[in-house]
Amino acid sequence: MEALQYWIQGFAVATLPMNLLYAFIGCVLGTLIGVLPGLGPAAGTAILIPVTFSLDPIGGIIMLAAIYYGAMYGGTITSVLVNVPGEAASVITCLDGYQMAKQGRAGPALGIAAIGSFIGGTFATLALMVVSLPLANFALRFGPPEVFSLLVVGLSLVTGLSGRSLLAALVMTLFGLMLSMIGMDPVRGAPRFTFGIPPLYDGIGFIPVVMGLFGIGEILLSMEAPVLEVIKTKLTDLLPKREEWKVSTGAIGRGTIIGFFLGLIPGIGAIIPTFLAYAVEKKVSKHPEKFGTGVIEGVASPETANNAYANGAMVPLLTLGIPGSPTLAVLMGAFIIHGLTPGPFLFKERPDVVWGLIASLYLGNVMLLILNLPLVGLWAKLLEIRYQYLYPGILLFCILGAYSLNQSVFDVGVMVAFGVLGYIFRKLDWPLAPTVLALILGPMMERALRTSLEMSGGDLSILFTRPISAVLLIAAAIVLLTPAVRLLGRRAGKD
Amino acid sequence: MKKPWQITCIAFVALAIFWLVVSFEYPYKDKLGPGPGFFPFWLSIITGALSLALFFQITRGKNAMEGSATLIPERQGVLRILAVLVALVGSLALLDPLGFRITLFLFLLFLPLGLGERNWWVILIFAIAGSFGIFHLFYYGLKVPLPMGVFGI
Repeated sequence: MEALQYWIQGFAVATLPMNLLYAFIGCVLGTLIGVLPGLGPAAGTAILIPVTFSLDPIGGIIMLAAIYYGAMYGGTITSVLVNVPGEAASVITCLDGYQMAKQGRAGPALGIAAIGSFIGGTFATLALMVVSLPLANFALRFGPPEVFSLLVVGLSLVTGLSGRSLLAALVMTLFGLMLSMIGMDPVRGAPRFTFGIPPLYDGIGFIPVVMGLFGIGEILLSMEAPVLEVIKTKLTDLLPKREEWKVSTGAIGRGTIIGFFLGLIPGIGAIIPTFLAYAVEKKVSKHPEKFGTGVIEGVASPETANNAYANGAMVPLLTLGIPGSPTLAVLMGAFIIHGLTPGPFLFKERPDVVWGLIASLYLGNVMLLILNLPLVGLWAKLLEIRYQYLYPGILLFCILGAYSLNQSVFDVGVMVAFGVLGYIFRKLDWPLAPTVLALILGPMMERALRTSLEMSGGDLSILFTRPISAVLLIAAAIVLLTPAVRLLGRRAGKD
Repeated sequence: MKKPWQITCIAFVALAIFWLVVSFEYPYKDKLGPGPGFFPFWLSIITGALSLALFFQITRGKNAMEGSATLIPERQGVLRILAVLVALVGSLALLDPLGFRITLFLFLLFLPLGLGERNWWVILIFAIAGSFGIFHLFYYGLKVPLPMGVFGI
């Protein structure tokens, strides 16, 4: 009964005319971000935070969440029409989506992606409504050792699943943790690693870092070959044919389940659910050899998984305060800017915000479907903007976004510096997501570890003697050691 | 093509050593437990050790990362990247003294030129709309504080 009351309260908040408007604007802006090459959801959401400054916290968070899941759909359009994913989670959609576009079937590809995204997102939101309250109540039992171990699991997952080299991913995670040391000591409140530079007393803002690594870095990379070739195709027949529906139904169902459940695991990122959904679809298909030549299941499944993941990943963010991806880290930053701290206490202190946001996810998915099916042609037109105007325009918003966070040119400098670093790391194929997540989770992690050690009088065994903490640390060890053991096994096999 | 990866590893080792040295300025322990120097101390040591391990892995050719990308873009690409960087650094330097509108007007005027666009009228309209127009929307419409500069515009 308690949950039902909260759901009703959530819908009452989300259906307020202004909140509906914010969700709608967020969906439009998010799709725009997803469509524009060189601007992924993380940087895009970060850039648009200033737009929400004058809004009340609920309105601001609803709009930013809509930007987030809108961008997840928007990335599909470029994957299908240009063979360039608007964001990383749409990489796999290029395989069959682009082939479908080349065959003149871009309409059904984008149509099934919109419908799949709607179904996946809606199911995930319903599931989020069911699981979030019990999980938040369970998380209230966590003390500092459990929080520390949970953060270790989150960072281990994002590290273990990033890039081709585990060592490089670990180094990037530690780099993020080192950056998080800059500013005030989270336990004693004394300045550290500030080198006498006043703006560093507040630490390195992770939002300018995200804008730099994922926005400026991506734009610099795009500058190497900025001209996109958009496939000219009829976009009138958006609804798939009957036989396409038949094969897509199962794909959408499987994509929904995979996306939602992987979204529950903090740190897994948006790419893995889409790749796994595609792999599963290929496995269960009667004609796996046709994957990559333009089969509609190859678009339906990963696109569904993508949006189911986006909404499912809200569970660890809202209930535990752990963002699972850089974009969710930005969303967490937006919560903090609006004076809210995601986590189990938010359910107790501001149920209107939590349940209003969850209900708005459901309504946002309806809006995305209504918005995207008729407007696909308009979004495709955006891809024809000349890069000489497109990229300066995006950079303008990067500068505006970075400056307005603290009215500080220093933040713009941080963004530019991390833009250069982001470009270099991308060229060298070093993963960036672990750095961002470590930067935001670092102070929480240090506070939890030091408080745990204060509780135990400096004895580290406190982390292993408390059952939940011990289980979490074992899980983290499995995540990190599995690739190493596999590598050793392969080497032993070769020898 | 191992060099860029090796250099990056060395840079991380150097950063870890620097962080370790600075961490000695903060107490490792205090009355209540671990002090502000505790976390950075261990973090620096682990970062340095792992960066060194990665360096040796790459040097011995046992890491999947080495030799995977074309690092230097073609000349036109380099010029475009430089144009973006010069425009960004320039706006960084001018934002406080000249304010948002003039700085971004110059940014949006010169960057398209630097990227090879020559349609002056379109560039001019783009620069005015992107600087003065966006300022109006955000400063007055959305109440986002933006720098005014010494001229107050």
